[in-house]
Order: sequence, then C-alpha cells, then structure tokens
Amino acid sequence: MEQIVQTIIIGLANGLIFALVALGYTLVYGIIELINFAHGDVFMLGSFMALVLISSVFALNANTPLLMMVAQILIVLAITMFATAAINVSIERVAYRPLRNAPKLAPLISAIGMSFVLQNIALLIFGPANDSVDSILPRVNVLSLVGIESITISAEQVFVAVVTIPLLLALTWFVSKTRQGKAMRATAQDPDTAGLMGVDVNRTIAITFLIGGALAGAAGVVQILYNNTTVWTLGFRFGLNAFTSAVLGGIGNLQGAVLGAMVLGLINAFSDRYLAANWTNAIVFAVLIGVLVFKPTGLLGQQLADRA
Amino acid sequence: MTAAPLPTGDLRTGTLPDDAILVRARGVTKRFGGLVAVNAVNFDIPRGAIVSLIGPNGAGKTTFFNMITGAYTPTSGDITFDGHAIVRMAGSKVRSLKPFQVTALGIGRTFQNIRLFGTMSALDNVRVGLHVHLKSHWWDAVLRTPGMRAEEQRSIERGLELLDIVGLSGRADVWARNLPYGDQRRLEIGRALATNPKLLLLDEPTAGMNSSETAEMTDFIRRLRRDFGLTVLLIEHDMRVVMGISDRVTVLDYGEVIAEGTPVEVRANPRVIEAYLGRGAAAEA
Amino acid sequence: MSAAAKPIKPGLVGWFGYLLESAMAVPGAYRDALVRRPRRTIALTALIVFGLLYPILNRQIFQPWNRASTFPLPFPEDAVVTFMIIFAIMAIGLNIVAGFAGLLDLGYVAFYALGAYTAAFFASPHFGSVTFILFSEAPPGFPGIHLPFWILVPLGFLVAATFGVLLGAPTLRLRGDYLAIVTLGFGEIVPVVFKNLSAVNFEFGPIRLVNANLTGGNLGINPIDAPRFFGISFGSNSGIAAVYLGLILLLGAIVVARNLERSRMGRAWMAIREDEVAAEMMGINTVRTKLLAFGLGASFAGVAGVMQASYQGITTSDFFQFSTSILVLIMIILGGIGNIWGVIVGALGLVFLDSTFLPYLGLRFTAINPDLPNPSQFNFLIFGILLVVMMRFRPEGFIPNRQRAAELRHAPPGQAIGSAAVLGEEALADEAKADEIAAEQVAEVEAEAAAAADAEAESATEGDQPR
Repeated sequence: MEQIVQTIIIGLANGLIFALVALGYTLVYGIIELINFAHGDVFMLGSFMALVLISSVFALNANTPLLMMVAQILIVLAITMFATAAINVSIERVAYRPLRNAPKLAPLISAIGMSFVLQNIALLIFGPANDSVDSILPRVNVLSLVGIESITISAEQVFVAVVTIPLLLALTWFVSKTRQGKAMRATAQDPDTAGLMGVDVNRTIAITFLIGGALAGAAGVVQILYNNTTVWTLGFRFGLNAFTSAVLGGIGNLQGAVLGAMVLGLINAFSDRYLAANWTNAIVFAVLIGVLVFKPTGLLGQQLADRA
Repeated sequence: MTAAPLPTGDLRTGTLPDDAILVRARGVTKRFGGLVAVNAVNFDIPRGAIVSLIGPNGAGKTTFFNMITGAYTPTSGDITFDGHAIVRMAGSKVRSLKPFQVTALGIGRTFQNIRLFGTMSALDNVRVGLHVHLKSHWWDAVLRTPGMRAEEQRSIERGLELLDIVGLSGRADVWARNLPYGDQRRLEIGRALATNPKLLLLDEPTAGMNSSETAEMTDFIRRLRRDFGLTVLLIEHDMRVVMGISDRVTVLDYGEVIAEGTPVEVRANPRVIEAYLGRGAAAEA
Repeated sequence: MSAAAKPIKPGLVGWFGYLLESAMAVPGAYRDALVRRPRRTIALTALIVFGLLYPILNRQIFQPWNRASTFPLPFPEDAVVTFMIIFAIMAIGLNIVAGFAGLLDLGYVAFYALGAYTAAFFASPHFGSVTFILFSEAPPGFPGIHLPFWILVPLGFLVAATFGVLLGAPTLRLRGDYLAIVTLGFGEIVPVVFKNLSAVNFEFGPIRLVNANLTGGNLGINPIDAPRFFGISFGSNSGIAAVYLGLILLLGAIVVARNLERSRMGRAWMAIREDEVAAEMMGINTVRTKLLAFGLGASFAGVAGVMQASYQGITTSDFFQFSTSILVLIMIILGGIGNIWGVIVGALGLVFLDSTFLPYLGLRFTAINPDLPNPSQFNFLIFGILLVVMMRFRPEGFIPNRQRAAELRHAPPGQAIGSAAVLGEEALADEAKADEIAAEQVAEVEAEAAAAADAEAESATEGDQPR
C-alpha cells in the first residue's frame, strides 16, 4: 500500500515537470496549430544550462547554506528561463514564421529538423553520456516532520511543487486577466480578425513562444534539482510525455495540459515500477494514439482553439 | 428532354406524386451548438426542374446543400433522392450517407468558392469527376492491363467531350488555377457533370460575373437541363438569374422556408420582400 | 497521349502485345530524346551506365586505387551501394504516402522492421524447434523455417501492407499533424515490441510458450539466410551480386510507383492532396483511397526490410530507430517530394553522405588535425539544418515535381497556418463569413487570372505539364 502511495507521489512530482513542458506545447498549438517538435529539446537545453550553472558557475552543493542556496537557485532559474525563452523565440523566428503561409506540414517538418539540431548541439557540447549532479537539496522526508514515517515526501518533491505551482498559477492569471493574454486568446481563435482588431499577431505569437520557452527552462532547472540527471536525448522522452499530456487534457486547453500531465506522471511512475522502463515509452505512445483515435478533443475538450 | 409542364401545387406540402419528385426533404433541421441554421425544412424538387434556393445571407442555403450532399448530417429529418434514402432517422439518431456515396447515387455539385484541383490540368480535373464510374483497381493500374488502359483512354475521351460541352476545348492541358475565373466556374461544372449526375447543385454559379457572363451562364444552365435531362438546384443571389431561369423558387430566411412558388409568385410575396428589404419596403409593395 | 487513336487489344494476348510494344518503343523514344535534348540525354545515359557498372569498376579500379594512393577518394563500397538501393526503395514507398497522397508518416521505419523480421522468421534457423524447408537452398534437415528469397519478398510486401492497413484504418481520418504523431508512435512501438519479445510466456489452449525468445530481443536474429539463386549467394559476402539483385527490386519499385501515379488512383491521391473535401464530393472514397496509399507505401518498406535482413544476414531492433524514419523523410524532401526520380536521388545522395562522405571527411580532418570535430558524429545536426533550410527555401526539393512545387509555394487558403479562412466546414457553416471570403477570393483570382493569362501565352508552348 505504501508503495502505491509512494509511486503516486513520485508520479505527481514528475507530472508537475511534465506540466510545465506540456503548457509550452499546448500554448503554441493553440495559437498556430503547430506541434512544436523542438520544444522538448528546449527543455533539455534548459536542463543542461541549469547543470552548468549549478555545478560549474555557482558550485552549488548540499553544503551550501540554505539562504545562499535559495538565492542561487532563484538566479539559476532566472538565467535559464531567460535563455530558453530567447531560444524558443529565435526558433519561431527562424523556422516557423517564414512558413506561416505554407501548407501545414512544412512547419512541422521544419520543427523536426530543429529538434534534431538542438539535440545534436547538446550532443556535441556535452557528449552522449548522462550528465549528473549530486543531490543538492536537503534529503529530508518532509512528512517525517509531521510524524509520518511510512511514506516519504522528499524536500526535493516539495521543491518541485513550490516552483511549478506558482508558475502554473501565474500563467493562468496571465492568459485570463491580462491584455496580452486576451490578445493570445483572440489570436488563437482567429488570427486575421485579431489582427484587424489591432492585435500585433506576430508579437503575440512571439510572446507565446517566449512564455513556453521560459516554462520549459524552469522545468529544466527543476529536472536537474529533482532528478539530478540529464542527457541529450532527454527532450524526446519528456517531449513525448508532455505532448501526450497536452493531447490527453485537450490540446489548446491549459488546465487540461496540467491535468493530463498529472495523469501521465502517474502512468510513468507506475509503468516504471510495476512493468519495466523498457515498456514505458511504448505505453505512453499507446495512450497518445488511443486519445487521438478515440477522443481527439481530450479530457477537457478544446478551449483556447476553437478551430476544427 | 424538353421541359414537361411542371406539376402544380405547393412543393412544401408534398402533394405531388412520388415519381415526379427527385429530392424529397422532410423536417430537415441542422443545429450547430445553439445556433439553428436550418429549421424543419420541407422541400421537394421535381424531376427536370430548375429550382432556385434564395434568401438573405446566413439563411442556411449552403448548409442545406451540404446536407443533401452528405457533407453535413442533419440534426433531424429525412432526405430521399430518386427513391434512395440519403438521410434517414432511425429512432432518434440520424444517419446520413457519406458524400462520396451521395455522388455515386447521382448528385453533382459546384462550390460557392471555387474548389478546383489547382495544380491538375483541366482535363484531369474532369477525369477526377469520372472516378466514381471508373472501375479499375490498383493492381490493374500496376500491371497496366488492357482493361485499365482501355478505361483510361475512354476517360480521356469523355473528359475531352465534357470540356467541349462546357466550352473549354483546347484548354485541356492548362492547370486549373491558371484559367480565368469564368473558365474555372465552367470547369467546375464540367467536373460535376463528369460524375454523371441526375441532380446538379450549383452554388452561386454566377458569383463575380458581369451581366454578359451571367447571361451566358444562365443560357448554359438551361441547355444543360435540356441536353442532359438534369434537375438543377441553384443557390443564387442574382435576381435576374433567379427570375429568368427558375421553374420554382424557394425562399429561406433564418433557416426556415418562408415562401415557395413560381418566380412571379415569390417576387410579390410580402414576407419575401420583408426578409430582403425590411418591413417598410414590404408595406409599400 | 499516343494511345488516343489506337484500339486496345483485350485479354492476355493483348497484354503481352502491349508489353512487347512498350519494350520495342524504347529505342525509338531514346532516339527522340537524343534529338530533342541531346546533352541531357547523353549525360543521363552516362550516369546510368556508370551507375550500373559502378560495382565492377569499384572492385577493379577504385578500391585498389584508394588502397594504394595517399589521397583516397570517397568511393562507396558495395555494402554502402546496396544500402543506397535499399533506402531508394523505401524512399519510393514513402513518396507514395507523403508525396502522392500527402500523408505525413513519421513512423515508416516500423514497416521496414516488419519486413526485416519477416525474413528473419521465415529464412533462418531462429525457430529451431521447427524444420520447414520450401524451395530454399538450405541444406536438408537444417532447423528453422526456410523460404526462398522470391517468396520472402512478396511475403514481406504483404505483411507490411497488412500492418499498414491495420494502422491506417482507425487513424487516417485524423488531420495531418495528428496523423504524423500517431505514425510516429507506431514507429516507436513496433521496434520496442520486437526488442522486448525475447522472453515470452504465453498460454492459450494448445499453444504454450515458456520463456520463448520470439524476436531475439536486444541481440536480434542471426544468422539469416542470404538470397540464393542457382547456387549463387547474393548476400553481403557476395558483394557485387547483391547490388544487382537490389537493382532488380528497385526497378520493380519504380515501375509499380510510376504505374500507380499515372492511373485513376494517382489522380485520386492528387485530388485528395489538393482538396480533400472537394475530392470526396467528387465521389472519391477518401478513407479507402488514403488507406491504399498508406498500405502500398508501407509494403515497399517491407520489401526493403526483407532485402536488408537477407543481405546482412542479421537484424536487430537497433537498426530501426525513429531517426531512420526521419532519414527517409529527409531523402524525399531533399530529393524532391512527389517525384520518383527525385526521391531516388535523395536516397542515394543521403546514404552516400551519411555512410561514406561524412566518415571520409572525418578521416581527412583527423589527418590534418586530430582535434577537429568529426563530421560523421553530427550527421543529424547537418540533416536537421538541411531540413529547416530546405523547408524555408526549397520545400519542393532539388528535383521537384511541378505540382508539389506549385502547391508548396502557394498553399490553398484552407491549409495555411495562421490563416483564419479555414474553408470547408467553417466557411460553409457561416455564410456571412463565407460571402466575405468569396468576395476576397474572387478579387484575388481575378488578379491572378490577369497574370495567368499572360503566363498562359508562354506556357502554351511548353507543353510539359504532367497529365
């Protein structure tokens, strides 16, 4: 029983990371109906950047005093998010915007190409092997502080929640309450009319990519601090899970992406534990195919994009 | 087939004998979410007639077209064509044939916004229309059997014939999108004719045409009816066409049939005037 | 359209007559081409002759030269040439799916794997508990199932086609990008399944499998019978012979693809690609037609897989990665999507690049300075950049198909990203908006028509447009 709860907790923690990446997919798809293949690799680059910043630049380790640690993590977050946002915006500018009027499959193919480029850049710079850091955050079972010994919620998992949940809320607030968010929703529904109403469509799309990129960067930082490892192929696995989350929840739907991500985190955790890691990817794909074939609008249906 | 005298009687009330009717629509309704685009429309199209479907923008005309061709499934209602059921209610569920099945039954159509296959030649566009009546399979194609080659040859001949009929002989090899607008409209009709239809649905065939082109097209439609024994259902906004060519006119407004009859009757109908021009104009009529 | 005037003789006799006629028309057609475009014809002839003789030239001249010289040149070896041909067959197949019918299949490698494992199951000692030899030159009593190559090829064709239909039936109604993802998934799942079926416990009625190694798992299946005809092996140790066997298969693939292209099906695929809704309105059963493209395209990969497994004598799931699917896709995009010759050139070029040229460069670089990066290590970086650049500047590829070129440069309004005018359902549903769009289009078309009328006068003399 405890094992099951533990697996659930692991699943939810990873699910939150998926959620950050899934939002990038769903935002971009909602606004220009493109599956940004390269998004998972932007996340991967973010994780490498965090790795370098943490281990080389800041020499952050388990012994760093808590206040310093928090400060440095925040700086790492800021830098990484800024960098990945910039990368994502550049990708849009270079690979997708020129193809805005081409048949849909052209930007998709371009995205695949971009994905390969990013992966191989990481491969070139960092080599093929896994890259890890030692655990930095205190290895404490938070629940033991309240007297529960049989189940563990590690400080790292709390950290994941502490970073991701505010970001998710901030995004929801941004999209529903701010002017720019309204511009995004308008562009997602009908770019031409939005343009006629005074929305700078190009800029709105760029901002969407910026936000998605930043979230992916945050996810990268969390990935390093929680899972402690990264590798040049990380983008594929995370991208697959994140995209499946977005589709499962209803592509274009922000809440759906988060919900889907939670479900997928659980699926991953249970598959890894009770089946074999070998099969997990195949299972996630099976879920993806199942959703697309049987319920393409996902669990929560389409919201951001009303187009068929 | 010369235009036989058309049976009299309101087409809405189903008083005409069945074999004189090519299309019979009963209680056809289409809802898009909360919007009722077509509301309980009853509509008969007699064989050999040229019927116009008119009404203000948004009245539901193209939606109705789409339900006849199977592109949309009605929310409720029945549509029969030449004795075959295109749309059928089974309990509370509505079942509709798929568009390609409807085409095989004998309904051809053109589109409001021209939808030709732009990078295919005019001849090939027409040959695509022949697809449903050609029989060779892919293995015949791979092996280049005599049957397949004979069929291909016949399809070229028939295609050229049809191009002649619509006045595009000599343009067989031109890509559809390189044709002038008027020719494109005619090619679309040629392509629709290739499907060997009994009923031809023309969606605003004279859109974008000047008066001489319109007169040509009107003439052409009349000739088509005569030479092919076709029944024609038109959506039209140009009243000259409607008045000049139609045997019957049906008027839709907000998805409902508000008038039906001969062109003269419809033109004088106050509800029709009101729908188009507003209540004041109706009062003056 | 030379058939326009001649009557077509029916029956088997007529068919043979047609084949004979076509064969006898070749010299005449060649003479015509020589007269009309002498330089191009001669260049192509030289190229083809060189290609056909290459394996022999390679063995006798190029390789010895390379061994002796201080500055060797990147002449591809027999194995590379064989794979060039294998991938050319796959490129033609994917061209049917993506180039003719316009369906993006990102999991094409699954069918390649299926073909390879078909050969592995039916022409190897793998299923050692069974002994079944049929027409094969395997020694009598040799364990395992052994079918000859000429049965394996159609078998691989069928297996791949069947799975293509199974995959396509529920998924082809999905829109383009979703279909791409689903096929990607399938492309991942199939090799994973092959990799993991190495310890299967299964019980169903009389069938009982205990720890059965169905697919060889990570290690794959090995050895696999090489193709043998009349005592001669056409496997990897035969070098030259395998290349010519591959060429025969390639020729078959070209003929099949060409004949499909110029047929009722070919036109239907083109129509669907241009405007699926209109195509369905014209009586084309779009689901079934797309399924046909998908299944037929898959079957080419199946044949290629049979060739791979038989040639190399070994197959494992490591050979079948997502990157292979993308590689084939790059081949058809670079070469010229929709154009059979373009995709062949793309395949030959890319395999050459990947297997011979980049490693060659790597060696040269190392010779100059060991610290220089080895280009063959980041082949996919280069391919990725190529993809992005090609889609931006020349999406129709180097040897384009005229129709695809025209489509790619000017997407119909309903299919562009960021365009609100999604014709079809939306415009049809909203008449006011449709009227607006119609008015816009009319204006646009009339402007184009004016320009086209000018261009037409010129193009009338070209007469080169495909039928």
